[in-house]
Amino acid sequence: MSASSLSPSAHTVAVLLDDALVTLNRAFGVLRRRNVPIEGLALHPSGTTGVSRLTFVLKADAATADRVAQQFHKMIGVRSVMVLANEDSTTEAKR
Amino acid sequence: MSEMLSGAEILCRALVDAGGEVIFGYPGGAIMPVYHALPDHPQLRHILVRHEQAAAHAADGYARASGRVGVCVATSGPGATNLVTGLAAAHMDNSPVVAITGQVSRPMIGRDAFQETDIIGITLPITKQNYQVQDVTELADVVADAIAVALSGRPGPVLIDVPKDVQNQKIEYRAPRARARGQSRPLTPGASPGSLEDGVRKAARLIAGADRPLLMVGHGVILAEAYAEVQALAEKTGIPVITTLLGISGFPDGHPLHLGMPGMHGEVHVNRAIQHADVIIGIGLRFDDRVTGNTASFAPQARIIHIDLDRAEIGKNVPVAVGIVGDARDVTRRLVAAVEPRRCERWLEHIRGFVRPRTEAFRGDLSPETILASIYEASHGECTIVTDVGQHQMWVAKLYRYERPNTHITSGGLGAMGFAVPAAMGVHLARPNGTVWAISGDGGFQMNMAEMATMVQEGLPVKMAVFNNGYLGMVRQWQQFFHEKRYSCTPIWSPDYVKLAEAYGIPGYRVKQASELADVVGRVNAEAGPALVEFVIEQEANVYPMIPPGGSLSEPIEAEPAAAAGH
Repeated sequence: MSASSLSPSAHTVAVLLDDALVTLNRAFGVLRRRNVPIEGLALHPSGTTGVSRLTFVLKADAATADRVAQQFHKMIGVRSVMVLANEDSTTEAKR
Repeated sequence: MSEMLSGAEILCRALVDAGGEVIFGYPGGAIMPVYHALPDHPQLRHILVRHEQAAAHAADGYARASGRVGVCVATSGPGATNLVTGLAAAHMDNSPVVAITGQVSRPMIGRDAFQETDIIGITLPITKQNYQVQDVTELADVVADAIAVALSGRPGPVLIDVPKDVQNQKIEYRAPRARARGQSRPLTPGASPGSLEDGVRKAARLIAGADRPLLMVGHGVILAEAYAEVQALAEKTGIPVITTLLGISGFPDGHPLHLGMPGMHGEVHVNRAIQHADVIIGIGLRFDDRVTGNTASFAPQARIIHIDLDRAEIGKNVPVAVGIVGDARDVTRRLVAAVEPRRCERWLEHIRGFVRPRTEAFRGDLSPETILASIYEASHGECTIVTDVGQHQMWVAKLYRYERPNTHITSGGLGAMGFAVPAAMGVHLARPNGTVWAISGDGGFQMNMAEMATMVQEGLPVKMAVFNNGYLGMVRQWQQFFHEKRYSCTPIWSPDYVKLAEAYGIPGYRVKQASELADVVGRVNAEAGPALVEFVIEQEANVYPMIPPGGSLSEPIEAEPAAAAGH
């Protein structure tokens, strides 16, 4: 994804969710449907049995990141959602 | 002593244990074990539809009218895919539907087996949750969980896909564990009591300082049964009330504070009120684009207080000054306690100045008003009306006088033509002692008119009204306004509805003049079984006023004066 002229900042969203393919599929559906620009994506065990940690970086402003987080928040199988602003995202965007 | 049950028997028993009484369905290969078990569970009345889409709409209608889950059943493959429109409608309008689909046996899944479809993948975006049962030991818990998920928080449809070999697996039965499958958090995030109190306080302050406040009532008020609370809020403050398409019958139409429906086909004075308001209190609505028009010019002077159960709705479509996450009934009750009594007489007078007299003329004087008035009179205003999608839907929404809570049921969000006839069957089963009218256009009626056979076979006395103008009227109206009157593919032929009714063995009538209305509609309403009446209406009548899609609420297209309507 190319850096747009608006250079929206990047946000990291960390989601704890049920370790089930159908839940992951639903999670990706939330991103796909809203055409959220994703820069990076990682899935790891959370340390708790049956729970995974899905982390993704999206190139979008805080309001968009928050809207995405709200959609995750109400998904069945999602345990928690956290949004972090990436401090160095401006530098990233200029490169 | 232990009792060995098959998966299919467990499924039926779990539905019975959850209080299930009616299921709408259609048998087929991959769901046959369930159909084999059904006769042993006479508590479950099965309604054999003529198309699975009707099963989903009927379950939706049942759910909306009863507040309980509506259950529909289909086989794998085409049976399951036929449910999709109904599930999408239930999803958009927050209706607690549980769909049960057969699936090919587990060893065949993923091998393009006969009638195999990835119904889980297909329905992911239109269900609140879905499950493919991988082992019979999970089944009872899944059913209990699915029902709880469908009903809890913001309701919605849930799908359970059960492979045929799981239906045949036998195990020792045990009752489902309550909330057995791990949900470590509330299904709908609630605000903490602190922020709720804070929100209510801020809202009360905004209301106290407002000169031109408005209440906008959506489906959430009906889902939460917040009727008394909303009325108390309106009456304590004198604030005029607007009901959205799905909020209709959430507040009595005849109440002096009721203004009407907003949005694309809202009356001019309702939309003007929105554009002049300085505070809008929105309860249980999502500020849908059909309500707001262009959001950039929506309610330009208003600070918005938005009360919704779903946190994701707050600020999603319009910016809000105060967002309160919570149940419409609970929050409104708190708001009633927090606001100071006041009146809005000058504001109401101001709004009354916006009211326009209706000017359209109709062939045979058969106007939507007179037709709907005759249904109101015949049923003494006590029936439930289920509408389809299109011009008649807007006429009913604007012109029928709803006085009783939750008596207007329609496919609002999805706008699924073909909804009314099957959904009305579900409404009848939820309210067997009341009268239900299914009102459709000639287009939508022909989509699901095969369900007349279901009504006859199952004894469902739905009263069907067809507004026949020989066109797909709403599309034709758009063609007239926005596509140079090129009526491409919108003229639609109809069968002889009176003969059609006769073919199904039910009474059928045709009305062409207003003078025939009272007699015919009265007879249809009084029929013990299903009955049909066709209203032959003006061919090119329009629904006025109209905000062009994406346009501002301030710039409606209005009816020409009656003299120029052309006859």
